[in-house]
Amino acid sequence: MISAEHAITRTRRDLVLGTAVKWTLLSTAVLAVLLQPILGPGSNAATALLFVVGAVWIVLTYRSMRSSRLAADSSSLIAAGQFDAAEQQIAQGVRCFSISRMVKLMNLHQLAMLRHAQNRWEESAALCRAVLRQKAAEQSEMGRSSRLMLAEALLELGDLHGTYQNLVKLYEQRLTLREALNLLGVQLDYMARIGAWQAMLSGLPQRVELAELLPTMQAARAQALLALAASRCGRCDWARWLRRRVELLVDIQALCAQRPMLWELWRSDQ
Amino acid sequence: MEQTTQPPQSQFLDVAAMLEQSLPRPAPLRLWQVLGVFLLVVMLSTYLSSRGGQLAATVSALSALTMMGLLAGLVALSMTMVRRARAEQTQLVAIEELVRLRRWPEAAGMLQQMLTRPTRTPQGRAQALIFLTAVLARYNRFEDAIAVQNYLLQTTPLDGGTAHGLRLARVMAMLREDHLFDADRAINELRRQVTRAGRARDEAAAELAGTEPQEPQDPQSLSAGLALIEIYRDVKTGHPAEAIELFNQTLATLREQLGHRVADAWALVARAYDMLGRDAEAAAAYEKATLLQPAVELHRRYPETTTLAEKYLAATAPGPPQGGAA
Repeated sequence: MISAEHAITRTRRDLVLGTAVKWTLLSTAVLAVLLQPILGPGSNAATALLFVVGAVWIVLTYRSMRSSRLAADSSSLIAAGQFDAAEQQIAQGVRCFSISRMVKLMNLHQLAMLRHAQNRWEESAALCRAVLRQKAAEQSEMGRSSRLMLAEALLELGDLHGTYQNLVKLYEQRLTLREALNLLGVQLDYMARIGAWQAMLSGLPQRVELAELLPTMQAARAQALLALAASRCGRCDWARWLRRRVELLVDIQALCAQRPMLWELWRSDQ
Repeated sequence: MEQTTQPPQSQFLDVAAMLEQSLPRPAPLRLWQVLGVFLLVVMLSTYLSSRGGQLAATVSALSALTMMGLLAGLVALSMTMVRRARAEQTQLVAIEELVRLRRWPEAAGMLQQMLTRPTRTPQGRAQALIFLTAVLARYNRFEDAIAVQNYLLQTTPLDGGTAHGLRLARVMAMLREDHLFDADRAINELRRQVTRAGRARDEAAAELAGTEPQEPQDPQSLSAGLALIEIYRDVKTGHPAEAIELFNQTLATLREQLGHRVADAWALVARAYDMLGRDAEAAAAYEKATLLQPAVELHRRYPETTTLAEKYLAATAPGPPQGGAA
C-alpha cells in the first residue's frame, strides 16, 4: 500500500525532474538549430541531435499518456468500490515518470479520492493539500474537486475553521452542477455542526430540489439535516415532510450511525 | 425547474440527419504525414549541404528555419485541437446539467447544435447521442429514441454500465410504444446479462477472500432498473399481483440504486394495488410516490397511473418558509 507521504514526496521530485527534463530538451533543440550553420554544411550532428530530442520527447509523451490512462481507469475502479485494484493502478501511476505536470498531479488526486472513499480523512486531506499547492491545479476541475474533498475531510476531522476557509474559496469559483451538489452536502453538514439553523433554511425549496439529484445516501443526509434545521426553527410542516422523504430513501439506523445528531428527528417516536 | 414538454420547433431533432452529420471527420493531418515532411526536409537539406559551397550555407539556414517552422506549426496545431476538444467537453457537461435539471428545451437546442455538424471525437458523439435518447423520450418520441439506442448498441464500443443503462432505457421505450414482444425478449436478455455479471462479481470476490462463491441472486435484486422495468411490464400487461410481489422482494435494491426515482416504483405498485381493488394500500403507495416526486411527472412517465390522481390524495410540499428564510 502506497503511503500518502511517499506519494507526495515522489510526485514533488518527479515534478522538479520533469521540468528540468523539459527545459533541457527544449534548450538542446534550440541549440542544435542555432549550431547548424556554425558546424558547417557537411556536418549532420545538429540533425542527429534534433532527432534524439524528438525521439526522447515522443517516448516521454507516450509514457505520460499511459500514466494518464492509468489515472483515468482508477476513477471507475474507485466508483465501483474495487479499492485494491484502484490502489495498484494508482501506485503504478505514481511510480511512472511523466513530463506532464497535470498527469503527475492527476495521480496524486486519484490517490486522494481513493483515501477519501476509504474514509482515511487525514491522508486524504494531506494529498488534497499537496495537489492544491500547485498553481497549475488550483483553478482547474481537479483543483475544485480536491478542495471539495479537503473541505469534507476537514469536517470529518473536526477542523471547522479549515472547512470554512475551503468553502469560501469554492464560492469564489464557477462550479459545475456536480460540484455544486457536492458543495451543498458539505455546506449543510458544516452549517449543522455550527448550529446555523436559520441560514440552512434559506432558499429551502431550491436546496431540496438540488438535494434530490445527489446519490441516495447523500440526498437522504442533506434532507435529514434540512429537516433538523426546520424542526429547530419551528417549521414542523417542513420537518415532518422532509423526515418522511428520508424514511422512504434510506435505513434510518444507517443514516443516524453516520450523523448521530439526526437521532433528534426520530427520538419522539422511540 | 420543470419546463414545457413541447419541442421548440417542428422538424426538430431529426434523428437520421443527426446520426449522419455528427460523424467525426478524419483528421486533416496525420502524424506520419508530418514526420514524412520532416524527414523529407532533413534528407533534402543533407543532400544539398553535401554539395558544399555558398548553396550549402543557404540551404543549411533554410532547413533550420523550416524545421523551426514545422515544430511551431505542430505546437500550434496541437494547441488548437486541444482547445476544440475542451470546448466540446464543456458543451457536453452543459448538456448533462440541463438534462439532470430537466431543462429539456435548452438541452434539445444544444444537442441539435452539436449533432448537426461533425463532432471532434467518437466518444463525445456517443455521449451526446446518449443524452439525445433521454431528450427524445421526454418528448414521447420513443421510436426515435429506440433507433438511436439500437444504433449506439450496435456500432459503438460502450462500457458495461453504460450499455446496461442504454438497454434499460430501450426496454422502457419499447414498453411505452407497446412493443411488448420485443420488450419481453429484451428483458430476458437483460436478465441473463445481469445474472452473468453478478456471478462473475461473486466469483472474483470469493477468490479474493478465499471462500466459496455465494448462491446466485435474482437478477432483479442486482439491478433496480431491471426490477422497475419488470414491475412496469407486469402493470402494463395486467399482472398486478406479480408486480406487487416483485416490488416487495426488491424494495431495498430499488431504494439504494434509484434514490428519488424509487417514486416510480411506488407509483406503479399503487396502480397494481388499485387494479386489485386494494384501495387503502394503493392510497398509501400513491402518497409515498408523490412524496418523493411530483404527481404530474409520475403521470407523464407512466400514463397508466393517471387514473390514481382522481381516486387518491397526492402528498404536497409545504409552502416556502416565510420571513427571510425563503
